[in-house]
Amino acid sequence: MTVVHYLNQFFAGLGGEEAAGSEPIRIDGPVGPGRALAAAGLAVDVTIACGDDRFGEHEQESLETLLGWIEELDPAVLVLGPAFGSGRYGYACGVIAREAGRRGVPVVTAMTPDSPGVIAAEGVAYVVPTGSNVASMKDAVPRVAALAKRLAAAEPIGSAEEEGYVPRHRRENVRSGRTGAARAIDLLLAKLDGDVRTEVEPSADRVLPPPPVPDLATATIALVTEAGCVPQGNPDHLPTRHANVWLRYPLDGVGSMSPDAYVTVHAGFDTTFANQDPNRLVPLDAVRELEREGRIGALHDTFYTTTGVDTPVATAVKFGQEIAAELKSADVSAVILTGT
Amino acid sequence: MFITALPTIAQMVGANRILKGVSITYPAGDPSLAVGDEHALRRRITERALEMLSTDVGPGTVWETP
Repeated sequence: MTVVHYLNQFFAGLGGEEAAGSEPIRIDGPVGPGRALAAAGLAVDVTIACGDDRFGEHEQESLETLLGWIEELDPAVLVLGPAFGSGRYGYACGVIAREAGRRGVPVVTAMTPDSPGVIAAEGVAYVVPTGSNVASMKDAVPRVAALAKRLAAAEPIGSAEEEGYVPRHRRENVRSGRTGAARAIDLLLAKLDGDVRTEVEPSADRVLPPPPVPDLATATIALVTEAGCVPQGNPDHLPTRHANVWLRYPLDGVGSMSPDAYVTVHAGFDTTFANQDPNRLVPLDAVRELEREGRIGALHDTFYTTTGVDTPVATAVKFGQEIAAELKSADVSAVILTGT
Repeated sequence: MFITALPTIAQMVGANRILKGVSITYPAGDPSLAVGDEHALRRRITERALEMLSTDVGPGTVWETP
């Protein structure tokens, strides 16, 4: 029985953000969390790894290499992560899990339930829910190992509710001893008691594309970013990750995101290039130029910022709604949002 | 509209007007270019963003900057 384990550059010991561009690599035996899996009874034969930025920016190429190795190794089970709350790592785990799963490989991964990787996995892989950081490793590893061993042995796996994995949005017909009416009443009574549950999870929120801006020459455009750009010194202490706030800063008389005046405090990527010239994150100099030329009516006199790292979707939705409400009341026509 | 180097994630979370950024660490620039060339690139990206804002698009539309 062959067990293959996927890790990002950090957990594979290749390095931190400076190694996020690392190309796919194949290592014999367990590495890092793979050793913990081995201690939990799942012996890892081969570790495969890729830098998070490399995967995100060269998804097809990276995926081809990794899937090539997986196909060659023909594992009884593929384990990915845990990725915890890391968006890029979780995304890579989710995509690889989905593609390997579609090729018939039993797959289990682990991450926070609101990771983009859960959406990327499209219900193909079993996803063990974890906490947002590595502190939950001890709890996650035995659960991942146990599920992986059962998958490798082709044992039947029960429902998400019974087994504790993240719901896969799959509907399976099961025979219930109770009628729909009785079950519906149960759900209603539970709800009246404050316990809201469902037999079918709702799907992700979707917003239709707003209509185009009719006349840019009279439009007010706002700049918003999740790249963590703040005035030098971070005077309002924007958190470097897990931000619970967004902030606004004036742009009156500011023509460019000068590195003397602005800095990014984002903990989710290598900020070296961004801090050499923060216009690379918030394209203020270019927008000002277009404003001077009359291509847009005006740039809104305030920019909005937060750090999008380990941010739960619910928090991001709340930030979006709050910022949008302010922009609407200021008669802003459209937003250029930049993300890292 | 959203400038990001990870358009597939933007699509998954429901963004509609998505412009592919240059890189995760510099969506609106390119440190490998000379200063003037980089500024010209950022201007093209921003113009493309404005073009996207004034165009009727379907859900999850991704554009690139030529």
